[in-house]
Amino acid sequence: MKIKVVKRYGTAFKDRLYIPAIIEGLKITAKHLFKNVNDIKSVDVLEYPEEQPRDISERYRGLHRLTHREDGSVRCVACFMCATACPSSCIFIEAVERTDGIDEKMPERFAIDLLECVFCGYCVEACPCDAIRMDTGIFSVIGSKREDFVMEKEQLLAQTGSFGDTFSRCHNAGEKQDD
Amino acid sequence: MSTAALIVTLGSIVLGALLALMMIPVLVWLERRIAGLIQDRVGPNRTNILGFRLGGVVQSFADVIKLVFKEEYYPGHIKTGRWLYIIAPAITFSAALLAFMVIPFADTVQFGGESLRIQPLPVDYGVLWYLAIGALGMIGIFFGGWLSHNKYSLLGTQRAGSMGLSYELPLGLAVVSMMLTYNTIDFNEMVRWQSGTVLGVVPAWGILVQPLAFIIFVVAIFAETNRAPFNVVEGESEIISGHMTEFSAMKFALYFMGEYIAMNSASAVVITMFLGGYQLPWLSTEMLNIHFGIVALALMAVLPLFLFVIIRWMRRNNSVRTTVSTDGGRDFETKVLTYALIGMGVVLELILGCFVFFGGGGTGTAIAVILLQIAVFVFKLMCFNIFFIVVRWTLPRFRFDQVQTLGWHYLLPLSLLNIFVTAIVIVGVGL
Repeated sequence: MKIKVVKRYGTAFKDRLYIPAIIEGLKITAKHLFKNVNDIKSVDVLEYPEEQPRDISERYRGLHRLTHREDGSVRCVACFMCATACPSSCIFIEAVERTDGIDEKMPERFAIDLLECVFCGYCVEACPCDAIRMDTGIFSVIGSKREDFVMEKEQLLAQTGSFGDTFSRCHNAGEKQDD
Repeated sequence: MSTAALIVTLGSIVLGALLALMMIPVLVWLERRIAGLIQDRVGPNRTNILGFRLGGVVQSFADVIKLVFKEEYYPGHIKTGRWLYIIAPAITFSAALLAFMVIPFADTVQFGGESLRIQPLPVDYGVLWYLAIGALGMIGIFFGGWLSHNKYSLLGTQRAGSMGLSYELPLGLAVVSMMLTYNTIDFNEMVRWQSGTVLGVVPAWGILVQPLAFIIFVVAIFAETNRAPFNVVEGESEIISGHMTEFSAMKFALYFMGEYIAMNSASAVVITMFLGGYQLPWLSTEMLNIHFGIVALALMAVLPLFLFVIIRWMRRNNSVRTTVSTDGGRDFETKVLTYALIGMGVVLELILGCFVFFGGGGTGTAIAVILLQIAVFVFKLMCFNIFFIVVRWTLPRFRFDQVQTLGWHYLLPLSLLNIFVTAIVIVGVGL
């Protein structure tokens, strides 16, 4: 069997003296300290409430939204895939039969409890019709009581995506296919 | 007791209390700001009173208000010794405060045949007082930790106890070697000894006369004050908060503030014993008294330069970024502070100018020398406190057995060796 011998550090006389290493460390911290004291504006931090994050990309999992069809009606077909995939069981769907002939089923109620949600994005992955997305770019939701954080269907439909795409990219059976 | 003695005594007591107590919010703020700046963050800078942030130091006062108004919670499981549990933080706090009170802030002055110490407690055995009272702070930790009936507290207390035991020895032995060198146990005499020079040019500061004792003393004092890298007593990652685990609100705040006062006292002792105390290098008190006109002239030249640098730094840094739309009163604050600094500078220049034109000597010069020495003392105190803080944010915590090994295997033999060599040199040279 091949044995790899790992070299141990810290046993040399210079290391056991501690003082040279401490001075090296102090040099590094003092360098940062003096540089930043001299020019506080060079510190690369966000002055948060005034400066908003600049790094919210298309892949950022923000607040959820429900997408629309081209005619503006809800895309969701109430298949319960997202609620099944949800690890924190925070999606509440009540299905109802769809009578306008566009599809067979739609949600009567579609609510997400944001206090339970862990923003894992599994619901987005699970959705077969691209009906739920997390591309709003909203990272902070404010409310004064717990009930404020339960997002109902109307609130989720009212959100718009931050990156173009207003309508769902998905095409269910029964709709006109592009290709 | 004459009027002069009364004024000097009261003045030193007030100054001592102010230096110890008002230093706490400043030190807490400095700790957080310096930690932030070292880690390329900004640190607390938002709290303000009427738009005046003063770099964020207001945050500490807001924290104190928060701690005062927090709920006083007494753990129900503590059945015996509850009164001792409650006064334990006060013991640590007052021990640290009292230990600070024997530091001379300026040289002893002669007024009307009386010699008056600028020292809140005018005693001539300051070193012994500091060692005795400073170590008393450990008692408060024992009571608090033991009576908490909590295993984390007990572990922290046990660590504090064994660490105190193993580091009191090198600390005391380093002090003994300094006692041999200075041939006194009076802090003021020690500082007077350091106002001389070695070999004609080098100021006879303790750090240059006894470098090994300085290193041993500083390491031991870091351990005594439970500061990083020796803060195994608190060891957040292992034992939550050590002896402070069961304490809340003001009881916790007393422990917390006691730690900072202990650090302040430790800095004061280090600069008094090793860094020339209130003395400027090469300028003893007698020289200052005789040649104060020249010193005042030099100060007059340096002061505007100093103020110019400070104001330029403030104007550059006390403003918001252009990407932040709201100014938030930064410009107004900078303007007011600039005028205040310039006004202070003008007043100081006028006072110093009087000394230059009307010459030295007399009571006025004596008072001016005292004030100058106090200013030098405070400056050195702040510098060493900042060193304390920078070390904390540089070094990781030692493991507990490493702390003990360092204390018993290295520091103790080294300090004994140092005493031995010091004694031989003193006998050989015949000082």
